Amino acid sequence: MLWLHLGITDHAPKLTKMTSNPVQSGPVISAQDVRFTYGDIPALQGVSLEVPRGTFFALLGPNGAGKSTLVSLLCTLLPMQTGQLRVAGLDVRRSSAQVRRALGLVFQEPSLDERLTVLENLDFHGQIYGLSARERRERAAQVLGVVELSGWDNATARILSRGMKRRLEIARGVMHRPELLILDEPTTGLDVQSRHAVWAYLSALRRESGLSLLLTTHQIEEAEDADLVAIIDQGQVLAFGAPAELRAQLGGMLVSLRGVPDDLLGELGARFPEAVIQGSTFRLNVAEPAVVLAWLGSRLSHVEAFSVQPASLEDVFLKLTGRAMREERAAVLTPASSAVDGRGFR
Amino acid sequence: MTTGAAYYWKCLYAIWSREVKRSVRESGQLVGAFSRPLLWVIIFGVGLTPYFRTGLRETSFVVPFTYMQYIFPAVVVLNILYPSIQSAVSLIYDRQFGFFREVFASPVPRTAVFFGKLLGGATVATLQGGLVLLLAPYVDVALPVKVLPAVLGVMFLVSLSFTAVGLLIASRLKSFEGFGVFSNALILPLYFLASSVFPLDPSLSVQQQQQVFPPWLVLLVRSNPLTYAIDLLRNFIIDYHEHALTLDVTVVVLLAVVACTLSFREFRR
Repeated sequence: MLWLHLGITDHAPKLTKMTSNPVQSGPVISAQDVRFTYGDIPALQGVSLEVPRGTFFALLGPNGAGKSTLVSLLCTLLPMQTGQLRVAGLDVRRSSAQVRRALGLVFQEPSLDERLTVLENLDFHGQIYGLSARERRERAAQVLGVVELSGWDNATARILSRGMKRRLEIARGVMHRPELLILDEPTTGLDVQSRHAVWAYLSALRRESGLSLLLTTHQIEEAEDADLVAIIDQGQVLAFGAPAELRAQLGGMLVSLRGVPDDLLGELGARFPEAVIQGSTFRLNVAEPAVVLAWLGSRLSHVEAFSVQPASLEDVFLKLTGRAMREERAAVLTPASSAVDGRGFR
Repeated sequence: MTTGAAYYWKCLYAIWSREVKRSVRESGQLVGAFSRPLLWVIIFGVGLTPYFRTGLRETSFVVPFTYMQYIFPAVVVLNILYPSIQSAVSLIYDRQFGFFREVFASPVPRTAVFFGKLLGGATVATLQGGLVLLLAPYVDVALPVKVLPAVLGVMFLVSLSFTAVGLLIASRLKSFEGFGVFSNALILPLYFLASSVFPLDPSLSVQQQQQVFPPWLVLLVRSNPLTYAIDLLRNFIIDYHEHALTLDVTVVVLLAVVACTLSFREFRR
């Protein structure tokens, strides 16, 4: 019941490649049975997937699902335990320096040096990614242009608004021309306007450079625009494919009834065993909603409210896990300190 | 492109120059850097000079310098201690406000981060110590150009030692809270117990000193590495020293080596 190339590693990706560069080939991310545990607590329990180059790939799951662990492994911030993981064809175990060079990162938490100016932040990034002085000058001007921060070169990063800081971080993330830009919950704490702006810049960057994007998010609407989505929960990939395909798997339409009396709920459950029942709410994904409504007939009047709408990724998640994503509490404990926080010099 | 010695130096330079840029822009630190020496030299120096000359107590050695000249090298060291220990704050800041996230996910060799921060902090501390030297004409200290390399060399070694100590402390500290109190609790005793503001009569032996001064004071002063650092600096600045110069040099160099080694080991952990 899983979709596409989940677990099938020698399978040619079905999605057409978005990249315009014919030299690049092979997947930008390739994971085979990746497992990771923090002590006794499993964070990833056998993740296998392949993402073609140029793809906008979203990793969707509740907090504690294992998204951050997978990202940390990709960034070589955590050591690989079992399985195979490649970024742009490079093994994260053996070529960590090259993998890091091939990645651009936008972290969930701010990571600018607020006392330096916009340009100094970019220049520092260019230096530690090995760009020459000339490349740094040129690229800084280019990427600032893309995120519409030209003219802010000499402003101290501290005075920028949150949205502008995010844009600067994105500009910095792509400055060294990475193959894959990883965005870890990038719109957390941004207002709607800034959010839209961020997405617009990312689309522009993709068109311009054939960049691949990896977005981790627990916001379903952000994943709806992706080319590929992996739904991850409790360290396992539950579904992997284009959002439209995932929605289609559910039957396309969602019938939901609220405030259903208990006796009717029992009958409904017996008649439609694949439905999800939570409290007095009944949800069913079907291709043809008329079947349900016809069966209910006049009993529809006993129900407080009902709705029929196209299925969303939220429904896919609900269907797969039996839980709504937003209500979700961390199912897998994340360690108290992440790879880059806490004690020590790290 | 991101390997080899040239890349390593580039990273080291990037981190070093960031460290220097940041502290030059930190106005609070700069105010301290200017006000501290003025406070010590003008208020303490001017105020205590008459007492030092005549002596409340009969001293058995002739004092060939004024009190201001005597404390001048110590004030240089004091102005080095504060920014050095302050590097701990910069490290906590980097850890909390995400700068390390960017650096440690990049291809930068980790040791370059350590040495960049260490050298950057030491440079800033040496520069702040250098500010005090600008006051030399006002306290009648002649600083011929030929002694400057030795003076700056000692200052840099002291800066290096205490920046390393600062980084060591920072790797153990989790937050900024109480850091101000903590740094004063470390810096001021070290400073006062270093023959900085009063000399232990150098014409006396240790036994005689212990009769004149409380024994604990003599012991603490003599076991404080800063005593020898200040003594060495005093030798170059006002041509006076209380201890053997070989001992001074040994202590200063050893302190730098030990502090940097310990700090580096903590960092590798």
